[in-house]
Amino acid sequence: MKTRVLAAAALGVGLLAALQPAVGQTVLRIGMTAADIPRTLGQPDQGFEGNRFTGLTMYDALVLWDLSSAEKPSVLVPGLATEWSADAADRTKWTFKLRSGVRFHDGSAFDADAIVWNVRKVLDKEAPHFDASQVGVTASRMPTLRSARKIDALTVELTTSEPDSFLPINLTNLFIASPAHWAAKLAAVPASVTDAGERAKQAWTAFAADASGTGPWKMARFVPRERLELVKNDAYWNAARVPKVDRMVLLPMPEANARTAALLAGQIDWAEAPSPDAVAQIKSRGFQIYANQQPHVWPWQFSMIEGSPWTDKRVRQAANLCVNRTDMKQLLGGLMAEAVGSVPPGHPWWGNPEFKIGYRPDEAKRMMAAAGHSAQKPLKVKIQVSASGSGQMQPLPMNEYLQQALRECYFDVELDVIEWNTLFTNWRLGAKDASARGAHATNVSFAAMDPFFAFVRFVESKMAPPVSNNWGFVNDPEFDRLVAKARTTFDAAGRDAALAELHKRIVDETVFLWVAHDVGPRAMSPKIKGFVPPQSWFVDFSPITMN
Amino acid sequence: MLEYLLKRIFYVVPIGLGVSLVCFGLVHIAPGDPLVSVLPADASLELQEQMRSAYGFDKPLPYQFALWIWRAINGDLGYSIATGRPVAPEVWRALGNTFMVAVLAAAFGFLVGSVLGFVAGYYRGTWIDRASSALAVAGISLPHYWLGMVLVILFSVQLNWLPATGAGPGGSADWVWNWEHVRHLILPALTMSVIPLGIVARSVRALVSDILSQEFVEALRAKGLSEAGIFAHILKNAAPTGLAVMGLQLGYLLGGSILIETVFAWPGSGFLLGNAILQRDLPLLQGTILVLAMFFVTLNLLVDLVQTWLDPRIKRG
Amino acid sequence: MACLVVLAIILLAAIVAPLIAPHDPYRGSMIRRLRPIGTDGYPLGTDELGRDMLTRLIYGGRLSLFIGILPVLNAFVVGTFLGVLAGFAGGKTNMTIMRTIDVFYAFPSVLLAIAISGALGAGIFNSIVSLTIVFIPPIARVAESVTTQVRNLDFVDAARASGAGAFTIIRVHILGNVLGPVFVYATGLVSVSMILASGLSFLGLGTKPPEAEWGLMLNTLRTAIYVQPLVAALPGAMIFAVSICFNLFSDGLRSAMDVKL
Repeated sequence: MKTRVLAAAALGVGLLAALQPAVGQTVLRIGMTAADIPRTLGQPDQGFEGNRFTGLTMYDALVLWDLSSAEKPSVLVPGLATEWSADAADRTKWTFKLRSGVRFHDGSAFDADAIVWNVRKVLDKEAPHFDASQVGVTASRMPTLRSARKIDALTVELTTSEPDSFLPINLTNLFIASPAHWAAKLAAVPASVTDAGERAKQAWTAFAADASGTGPWKMARFVPRERLELVKNDAYWNAARVPKVDRMVLLPMPEANARTAALLAGQIDWAEAPSPDAVAQIKSRGFQIYANQQPHVWPWQFSMIEGSPWTDKRVRQAANLCVNRTDMKQLLGGLMAEAVGSVPPGHPWWGNPEFKIGYRPDEAKRMMAAAGHSAQKPLKVKIQVSASGSGQMQPLPMNEYLQQALRECYFDVELDVIEWNTLFTNWRLGAKDASARGAHATNVSFAAMDPFFAFVRFVESKMAPPVSNNWGFVNDPEFDRLVAKARTTFDAAGRDAALAELHKRIVDETVFLWVAHDVGPRAMSPKIKGFVPPQSWFVDFSPITMN
Repeated sequence: MLEYLLKRIFYVVPIGLGVSLVCFGLVHIAPGDPLVSVLPADASLELQEQMRSAYGFDKPLPYQFALWIWRAINGDLGYSIATGRPVAPEVWRALGNTFMVAVLAAAFGFLVGSVLGFVAGYYRGTWIDRASSALAVAGISLPHYWLGMVLVILFSVQLNWLPATGAGPGGSADWVWNWEHVRHLILPALTMSVIPLGIVARSVRALVSDILSQEFVEALRAKGLSEAGIFAHILKNAAPTGLAVMGLQLGYLLGGSILIETVFAWPGSGFLLGNAILQRDLPLLQGTILVLAMFFVTLNLLVDLVQTWLDPRIKRG
Repeated sequence: MACLVVLAIILLAAIVAPLIAPHDPYRGSMIRRLRPIGTDGYPLGTDELGRDMLTRLIYGGRLSLFIGILPVLNAFVVGTFLGVLAGFAGGKTNMTIMRTIDVFYAFPSVLLAIAISGALGAGIFNSIVSLTIVFIPPIARVAESVTTQVRNLDFVDAARASGAGAFTIIRVHILGNVLGPVFVYATGLVSVSMILASGLSFLGLGTKPPEAEWGLMLNTLRTAIYVQPLVAALPGAMIFAVSICFNLFSDGLRSAMDVKL
């Protein structure tokens, strides 16, 4: 009996050992908030969490973000391009000089043809490798890019539809996949499949399961919906960014409690966005919490259409003065930054607005009284919110808190809680659409690292639905003038000054109720060292070590 | 008998067609853009139109339905919008994973439930009956997803005995029947077993007490049949209905796994369904519901056939 | 018996909630969020927004009982109507109704509820609609089978021979014999309905905040499980208690009326 138990135990240990990675290999296991592994074929879905985990890890873009500092906002640095400039005579033509000696994970060489191929994959319907499923997440992030042309092996020319100084920032979203590797996948599609479109589709499916880019991490193993395993790319072109950890395992865990439990039970080393209420317990077990302000805004976006109570600027400003953001921060266990604009003070685009946002309820009440409202005659406002969603932080408690807070300033807030996708779809359809159900504001959070996404799409009149996210139909010639000025200023300093002017007006005109910036909270095992929480949605996994 | 069987089998066809129509219809009455998972919030109208036609959503609904059914019959459930991967293999794999938990949960739930129910029915009216029945009622009255969370806190976070989520160190793809993997099954299966345990216990108790109250049992007893003999007699009479209840319960487990799989991040059909709802991934949503419903229809059929075979007096449907 | 008392108390409390609840169910404060059970002035603690748990549990009974009972009631009316119609009319009508019902019956109930709610979107109304649809098929089946049995009994034939109209027969003879068993069956579904509804809220497909509803409270409090596990468990305990009581009530009714289904 005893020997049998021993034998079983030995067998168990043997199996355990077989499952462990090779001795000395360091493995970093991360629980993501995504419900599914972001797409791996180059252009990830799942928003910027996708770029963070399956874009910037396996791939590079022409232009990259500098993620090495926790103190300064992230700025652009050369990626697969070493330098770039717009043609002084024709501002729609850009020349990008490419890095030499870079190789894809499959061994093929990176060159100008690869750039042309990757632009065509999403912009040229006639290209054999055109993939409709990647268009949506790509084309909208580089709205003016039209085509690419090879000049020589290491030079490409990109053309935009109009002069657009934002192009280099936009290009951080175009990930360069290996054309040779895709061609091999296409050749491997069974000959019985004859339709060219179907063959291309199957080649992309195969590419997604065995991807090849130039990034610091290589795909090692992919189990759909369960895990993605990456190994370090020893041959990465930037020796300083060759990962120190051997293997990284990414696990989708959409449930905050499940992530926390997995971390505390030792199943993962790193949990994205732990639930604020669990923070105390996580810390008491010796885990660390990292957070830093991100270029992210959690707002109410006001409707300016006729009949909306927000058309009165006093009401818009009163709402901004009635919210005690410090209280809200406490609600989130400290895991937010107080928002007083779309970018924080000190940012190059800040611009010193005259309207100073803060918690001044008496001033707010005076403004509301002046606008004809009182505790007896509160102003009814209807807000569409979701119960969940990428970047939405803790939408329900936060909105319920706002509901309570604004009651003090004579607001009678009705929350219309709808499904996240419906809310998100309506963002593009606008306040006048039936799906808005007469709401006066919408609560969709957004990324603010690119001027188009941070400002332009919300205030330029031609961005009104169904074109883009000017949900509330803001229509102000001064906004349009400032947008045009920023877009056509090609020196970086001048462009930033123009954007600061734009931001100043956005705050002074108060087109949002600014509430919070996400801080990208992460809980990590004490084994993890060398992590830098940048002021960005993205993370550099390369310097991390594990002991 | 044979005629009944054939009729019963043939009857699955219209039901299956009806079920697929419901699957298709449900998904299409849903608000929200079907392409929301691949179209960003600020996609231009032109881009939207282009994508809609690339995915075939611009075609009339009856055409879309016919095409979908035709492909489904041929084992092709289309491509997921969100991931671009074919739906069918993912659904089958997920169903397999759910099956593991469901079968384990069923085995445990049925066994314990049958014993509880049998004991309660056999000792009708005693404190044993009351205790077992209370346990059974508790089983069906508990919000089981909540039980799952409590078990995780207890066994994973506090005691650190069992893993909190997932399907093993390498995911379900390299599942092996060893302790390192099976321990991931325990909490989900235990949580899932609570409802069938309660229902089976109640059904078995009712059956057993019903049979015991019939006069011929007294007659058998009077004739001097041993308690073991009576036991066998009860078992024989209770088996057909008992099996039917269990068969249906297994079906409910497969179809109702979404809450538990969400709590445990178990990569099964419920988890897939949750994902599909969350991402509004129509082909995935339709495919998953269809396969689950068809599975349930087939299971119902099997239960019927087995029941008819065990007890030819029963004629249903 | 004890259960009837518990149900009566919860029902009564829910009805007179505004009179007995110590606080405003929608008003909270960040300063006193997630207080433990036994806090002065907040005997059952406070929730994640600092609202009084006792008040919200009392108010929560309103919606929870409502979305537990109403779908079953709706389904009872519609399902009985369809079942009696099918059973009484027989032939083609029976065929059409029952085969349509069979299609919906072919879905496991949780799957059907989630699929319909997922399609319609979140909200109390949609939850009630989806649960009603889920409960119609089983009730209609029971009603149909009882009606078919009753229809062929002698006294119905006698009534028909004496010239009674179809309406009278249904009203006097059939409903009288069918309603009882179907009602008993339906009471057993109330607890299923409550648990399903709370599950929908858990998935974000049910009641919307800031309403007080036990399933939703369980959902929004679940991240507090690390801070105040007992407070977070209260709504679950309420669902459990009411559900168990409805089950026992239904069992009692069943044996009292000697119904076998």
